[in-house]
Amino acid sequence: MEAILSRNFNISNAWKLSVAEERGAYQTAKKVLTSSKPEEVLAAVMASNLRGLGGAGFPTGKKWSFLPKNNPKPVYLVINADEGEPGTCKDRYILERDPHQMIEGIIISAFAINSHKAYVYIRGEYVRPYENLQAAVDEAYTKGYLGKNALGSGYAIDLVVHRGAGAYICGEETALLNSLEGGRGLPRLKPPFPAIVGLFGCPTIINNVETVACVPHIMKNGAEWFAALGIPGCGGTHLFSISGHVEKPGVYELPMGVSLKDIIYKNAGGILGGRQLKAVIPGGISAKILTAAEVDVKMDYDSLKNAGTMLGSAGIMVMDETTCMVKMLYYATKFFAHESCGQCSPCREGTGWAHKIVTRIYSGHGKIEDLDELLRIARNMERRTICVFADAAAWPILSYIGKFRTEFEQFITQGKAALLEPAGAH
Amino acid sequence: MTALPTADSRFRGNDTLSALDHEAQKIVAKYDEKRAAVLPLLHLAQDTIGYVTPEAMEWTAKWSEVPVVHVREVVTFYSMYHQKPVGKHHIRFCTGTSCVLRGCESQLNYLKKKLKIENGDVTPDGKFSLEEAECLCNCEGAPMMQVDKDYHVDLTEKKTDEILDGLK
Ligand SMILES: Cc1cc2nc3c(=O)[nH]c(=O)nc-3n(C[C@H](O)[C@H](O)[C@H](O)COP(=O)(O)O)c2cc1C
Ligand code: SF4
Ligand code: FES
Repeated sequence: MEAILSRNFNISNAWKLSVAEERGAYQTAKKVLTSSKPEEVLAAVMASNLRGLGGAGFPTGKKWSFLPKNNPKPVYLVINADEGEPGTCKDRYILERDPHQMIEGIIISAFAINSHKAYVYIRGEYVRPYENLQAAVDEAYTKGYLGKNALGSGYAIDLVVHRGAGAYICGEETALLNSLEGGRGLPRLKPPFPAIVGLFGCPTIINNVETVACVPHIMKNGAEWFAALGIPGCGGTHLFSISGHVEKPGVYELPMGVSLKDIIYKNAGGILGGRQLKAVIPGGISAKILTAAEVDVKMDYDSLKNAGTMLGSAGIMVMDETTCMVKMLYYATKFFAHESCGQCSPCREGTGWAHKIVTRIYSGHGKIEDLDELLRIARNMERRTICVFADAAAWPILSYIGKFRTEFEQFITQGKAALLEPAGAH
Repeated sequence: MTALPTADSRFRGNDTLSALDHEAQKIVAKYDEKRAAVLPLLHLAQDTIGYVTPEAMEWTAKWSEVPVVHVREVVTFYSMYHQKPVGKHHIRFCTGTSCVLRGCESQLNYLKKKLKIENGDVTPDGKFSLEEAECLCNCEGAPMMQVDKDYHVDLTEKKTDEILDGLK
């Protein structure tokens, strides 16, 4: 497959404008801003079947069309570069290695939604990616690609890069807005949706880094071309991150709908050390786990939903036969207990409790009843909170215990030692 | 009311912060509302002083025109702001799922033994501090850690030695 989003990832210094321009950067944006109408861009993005690549998979054109018509307030475009979903590394590649691709996408997208101001919210720990991105933005301003007369089109676009400060929850779009407004990253109740009441109370479109990076390619090669890369209803390629027990962990650009098995065994070179596969998390820590018997599945929103899990951020984590599921649940619950923003009691209490109980089991003091107690706590966290973080926190508990219950029971009754043996049969 | 401190009253003599005033002005000007500058101002103050002092919170509140208590809430909410000095080199050691799968526990234990510190500690000479972090999203290079600005991947004991021994 031809590399699209990743075409500059291995070109040295592609974050510098001169190198990016040699590779064609900004030509599409220039053409669009000087010779197309915003409605034409919106129509193309609609027809391309581009779906948001930040995790939820919402159709991008449809999201843009929710903006109020004849609205007197400014419209903001906010780019979610707060990448934090465990198992996901893809946006970092665009931000650090090819930021101009994203900036060009921002220019075209802002033009399409009649926005003159964009913010990129980048996670605080990404210091080197931030430095490259900021340098790229500065260069784009110096050349007049951003600013009052972007690319000589007469259209004004300002772009501000805003650094987060270490809080996973700020990846949730409304928490991100609160954080961008200078407050704590607390998710907001929806509705109103950000397209109506977003940043500073104004209509706002929030898109993931990779989502906007697709837009120049759609405008350059056509919506039909983009749609045909993927599967019906979901166009384009996707950057799949794969880590854990594989020979070649990395970020691979592949068409939507590619087989999970192929990613593991072909792209990532198979299981580390030739060992046996035990389980896979297909879409970041929030996605329900799949057993080795369930990996014959296509990587797209609908196929994974049908398999009882989700594509999420497409962060694939592979576990081989030596993996202890109690330990993995210990680390998963630690993450959620640490990152809950604390606004809703089912989430705040539930994540804390669950982690306490799993810690007790992991340290060898568990009781068999603890497993049902954990399932009960998890079910109480689903669908009753301000944001879906609590649901996501419930899923590892429900799916690890649900699919590996015998192993949890053995751990509790026979102690850790029994578990350190390869559990091949699972 | 307007109990907000002014540069003249509160900060007289606080050279470090007032030297940042020019930069603060530029930051505030980038945003549509001044309050949005809270995070970048705190980053700037912390990068300069090493941690967020009470004076830095007041300075941030002044420039972003919000109450100091709001700034304090923000500082406690985010893990990257420190209210006491950290080491000259701050280490974030990833303990996320992918890093655990690739053996981060033994690497972390090695580092703790080497520096003789636990999570949250600073070495007695003030050179290093350690924070166990959640996924830093470089899972393809697990196990990994961040030292100051840089990510270091595919850690081994030897590599950890080289990285840390190479720092002044
Ligand atoms: C707890 C939580 C964390 C999230 N983290 C991220 C993130 O790091 N990056 C991201 O783009 N979207 C993240 N999202 C999804 C965003 O809320 C939002 O759907 C997305 O940024 C929209 O962009 P898209 O339509 O282009 O995908 C997260 C959602 C939740 C509930
Ligand atoms: S569900 Fe959890 S993370 Fe989301 S708003 Fe409620 S407490 Fe915060
Ligand atoms: S789990 Fe360590 S970088 Fe993601």
